[in-house]
Amino acid sequence: MFGYVEPDKPELKIREFDVFRGYYCSLCKSIGKHYGTIPRLSLNFDLAYLAVLLDSVGGGMTFGKMERCIVHPIKKRYVIKSNPFIAYASDMNILLTYYSLKDKWADERNLLGACGSLALSRAFKKAKKKHPDKAASIEGSLKELNRLEKENCNSIDEAAEPFASIMREIFECHLIEDESTRKTLGWLGYNLGRWIYILDAWDDLEKDAKTNSYNPILIQFAYKQDNLDKFKEEVKEKINFILTYSLSEAEKAHSLLGVEKNCGILDNIIYSGLIVKTDKVLQGRCKNHEKESI
Amino acid sequence: MKKNPYKVLGIKEGASYDEIKRAYRELAKKYHPDRYRDNPLSDLADEKMREINEAYDTLMKNAGGAYQYQESYDQTYENSSASQSQRSTGSQYQSQSTYSSQYQSQQQNQNQNRYQSQYGYADESELERQARMYVNSGNLNEAQKILDRMHTRNANWYYLQGLVFLRRGWYDRGYTNIQKAANMDPTNYEYRTALNNLKQQSTGYRQNNYYRNTYHNNPDMCQICGTLWCMDSCCECAGGDLISCC
Repeated sequence: MFGYVEPDKPELKIREFDVFRGYYCSLCKSIGKHYGTIPRLSLNFDLAYLAVLLDSVGGGMTFGKMERCIVHPIKKRYVIKSNPFIAYASDMNILLTYYSLKDKWADERNLLGACGSLALSRAFKKAKKKHPDKAASIEGSLKELNRLEKENCNSIDEAAEPFASIMREIFECHLIEDESTRKTLGWLGYNLGRWIYILDAWDDLEKDAKTNSYNPILIQFAYKQDNLDKFKEEVKEKINFILTYSLSEAEKAHSLLGVEKNCGILDNIIYSGLIVKTDKVLQGRCKNHEKESI
Repeated sequence: MKKNPYKVLGIKEGASYDEIKRAYRELAKKYHPDRYRDNPLSDLADEKMREINEAYDTLMKNAGGAYQYQESYDQTYENSSASQSQRSTGSQYQSQSTYSSQYQSQQQNQNQNRYQSQYGYADESELERQARMYVNSGNLNEAQKILDRMHTRNANWYYLQGLVFLRRGWYDRGYTNIQKAANMDPTNYEYRTALNNLKQQSTGYRQNNYYRNTYHNNPDMCQICGTLWCMDSCCECAGGDLISCC
């Protein structure tokens, strides 16, 4: 479900790209330091965005230096020095990945889900201890999501709600003290969450239609086991509207934040990266979500 | 504490008259209350807009960038603003500026009066009025409760229900409900505006693209070669030749 929030790489300045990668690497290292090597594999782009966003909203100075790591042992790379925001993002990464892996195992009996959640269980306990309230609310939302899936919920809006709430919860970081800024962050997260959930549902249409799994788009628009391509053509406009509208709301929250630090990267993601990704997935050019390397 | 007006507008100190105006226009477009109408963050946007208006006011009054921001600014500003604000309602800028929030609210009032007199939610029931009030104040749960209690589902009901969904973030249902309201009562100005606004928001976001995104549409090598080949063939058909070697 994760990894859709990405910058539009060709439009980034090289310096901005280095900084973004610096955050990504720092997040990875932070997970390594706090939770061990295996959980590092679970890192995804959405959380890298969260790290950049929170660190930029929080302001303050950020330092970086050239370092080596296991994945890139030869060449040194620019890595941002870890700070509380980055540590927070890495905790959230563990929580989210653990729950989604566990969910995979419960739903589809996916072996990767079982092994993954087992491997993450120690890290998860540690993260949960750090953020008991966040963990509880994520767990609650996922239960809700499970219930909706079991009941074959026929509304895209309703099905997207739990995941959007999770994202709101995560974006409303306690390290940001100003109440209204937190609220704005929450609305940004909520809308991104909706966008991710619905985009993912669209991405999985073929798979779900074949295996007869739950997919809110198939149910809401009453897909009858016939021509999937025709079905997609028919509902595309509608899905496009929901996705773009969610993004436009996220953009409004983004402009209210008025962040100056790293604004090149953040603007790039909000104004370009997300819409480019939307078009790619809607046109089916992003089959089962291939991940671009960084 | 009052903020540095230059910083609020995002320009250098001592910027020219035109620069200030341009920066103001841009920001006013960005935080325009119209854009945040069905948004739970509308109060924050209003606050931002007020800040921008204030900064613009201050700079304009001080004759195009001659204004000097000092650390003691707070005090002098407080003192002078008290006397200025009394005069300010009639000041030239406010009667000219199309973006100022005062103008905005005036216009909204006018619009509302127009709805009320022409398309009548003047005759809206007590419950509907309450629901509308709760929607406007952002108390969605209460609004939903009232809507659930109502039995007659007229166009206005669908419209209000649509607004509740929009504010909550359920855009698909919000759109469907407002569309239904507009279909049930096609003459209603308010429903039609809301529906158009919804469409405009999402297309606006796409068009308002920060980058021109040229590289996504640029012709690639394949297209260029294909075009050349086509042109060559066409020319040969017509008796000429574009690329002589083939």
